[in-house]
Amino acid sequence: MSQRKRLSNSQSSSQRKRPQSSSGTVGEDEDATYTQPSVSQVQRNLEKLSPSQVDQKITEVVQYILVKDQKKIPIRRADLVKNVIKEYRNVYPEIMKRVTHTFEQVFGLKLVNIDTKNQLYILINKFEATAGGPSFCVANPKTGLLFFILSVIFMKQGVAKESLIWNMLEKLRINPTKKHEDFGDVKKMVTDEFVRQRYLEYVLIPHSDPPEHNFLWGPRADKEVSKAKILQFVAELHDQDPRNWKHQYAEAHKTQDSQPSSSSRR
Amino acid sequence: MEQLKRPSTDKEAPQQDGAAQHNSGDQMQLNGGSSFGSMSGQERGTRKEIRSKYRDLIDSVQQNREDLLSPSNNKLTEVLEAADSLFENVRETSEAVLDSKFVSVATDLNNERASQMREEDSAFDHAAFAEHLLSFMGLNRLESGGGEQSEEEIEGYLPKDAWQRLAQRAEACFQTAPTFHYMLGSFHAEPPPPKQRIVRQKKAPSKEAKRIMPTQLKKMEEAEQEATEKEVERILACLKSYHQDDPTSPISYYEFVIDPNSFSRTLENIFHTSFLVRDGLAQIGLDQDKLPCIAPMEEVMTEGEAGERENCNASIVSISPKSWKELIEAFDITEPMIPPLNSQ
Repeated sequence: MSQRKRLSNSQSSSQRKRPQSSSGTVGEDEDATYTQPSVSQVQRNLEKLSPSQVDQKITEVVQYILVKDQKKIPIRRADLVKNVIKEYRNVYPEIMKRVTHTFEQVFGLKLVNIDTKNQLYILINKFEATAGGPSFCVANPKTGLLFFILSVIFMKQGVAKESLIWNMLEKLRINPTKKHEDFGDVKKMVTDEFVRQRYLEYVLIPHSDPPEHNFLWGPRADKEVSKAKILQFVAELHDQDPRNWKHQYAEAHKTQDSQPSSSSRR
Repeated sequence: MEQLKRPSTDKEAPQQDGAAQHNSGDQMQLNGGSSFGSMSGQERGTRKEIRSKYRDLIDSVQQNREDLLSPSNNKLTEVLEAADSLFENVRETSEAVLDSKFVSVATDLNNERASQMREEDSAFDHAAFAEHLLSFMGLNRLESGGGEQSEEEIEGYLPKDAWQRLAQRAEACFQTAPTFHYMLGSFHAEPPPPKQRIVRQKKAPSKEAKRIMPTQLKKMEEAEQEATEKEVERILACLKSYHQDDPTSPISYYEFVIDPNSFSRTLENIFHTSFLVRDGLAQIGLDQDKLPCIAPMEEVMTEGEAGERENCNASIVSISPKSWKELIEAFDITEPMIPPLNSQ
């Protein structure tokens, strides 16, 4: 039973592969069909550059991504190439390889491609939080709201109608139409901000009259949020064993590479 | 789930309901609108009726969605069967189009119903979930939240940090990358205001190697300039009068500029004296004891010549309150040689 239901705009996850073209002849307007130079071409191009030049570029890319990540909006490869990499695009694969390595080794972060069709990247933490450890900064209440919506969707096995979400929010004293003390325009935050950050998907139900939407987990949530941990917390709240929810338990514990990997962070 | 059985339109397949076929043994003919005129009035009426029934069916399905989805009845099946029998009479494209629309709507409904059935094994009581969350967030059920109840009559009230409390616990489920911010904040993005250009001033010719001279600001406002010029002239007059008293002995530079009563006035004196030197009206040299001394120049040079002198040296005078005090003690300065402007 699949957790994800794609009711519209299914994304094909295959990256288009084109026959080799000569390096460095990609046009000014980068698009998703950027042709990657071959390994040997990259090696040759690399030799023309000094190590410090390449290091400099890598540093710039790392900084760019770190700053862009502040809003948690995915980074487009096209922007990255146009604004930072520029004339070094003929060694793009090597740069990205080292950038990813830098993120892992220096920052403990993972650079993840969440959309191979549109080439979107996000940064996630390489490590899980250690239980009971001190948190160094005040928790953002948005996380609480996001957790709530994600857990409802998950417990409803992947899809929740928007009417359900609004109803439940009202039970939690949030009126989506009114301005909330902590969150402001809740409806906008949920249907716009969380969607742009790719935590949620807000999909129109076909033929619904009046038009209604469903909420699903977004690709960022798939990578960043642990279903097992959500189920664990939900079970705790109900004072029950997580296994009581058979399907959700199975979904949370099936081995998929898209779920966050388990390595503890200090 | 009911299987939707459709009368076959294929030539080979046996007919499900022979009576429905006008053209026996042939594929069902779908006439376009162009042949509409060739129909009889009664025929046209039938077509209209079928279309209208389809539309009614689709409308009722959309309006009674919730009802049809409810697992407690078989209304969805009934609707499918109704459409089925309607379909048997379909002849025209316009009717077939309506039928497709119905099928599409019905399929969606079926999907939803299927997903509902999945839940029975792992039913999730969302109302209970909300209640548990409220407790977790610290809902205070006993108090009525002060004053009158709102129209919604919500019982109890949530503390201010309710969502934060939830976030604290929920964060553990996330592997979010911490957002990057410069520790000391980022600098203001505008370029700094243009710095005043500092031009070293030229020194009067002298045998000694080291001269000390204050730097000079190139840009000054008009009013300040006049005031400075006046002050410079005043100091020059001062210097000249001292020199006249005793032309042979040089005046100690420090004794001349230092005002033992005010450090800031000392600085101003140094500043103004430097102009005299720049313009060649005074010269600073070292006496036998290697201490700087100042004396007015006999030959007055024009500014142009002053700029072209040989042996021009530029130097910087610096003085701190500490050295100022030391100098006062060393030279035993009790009174300023340059009388202050606003002597009270």
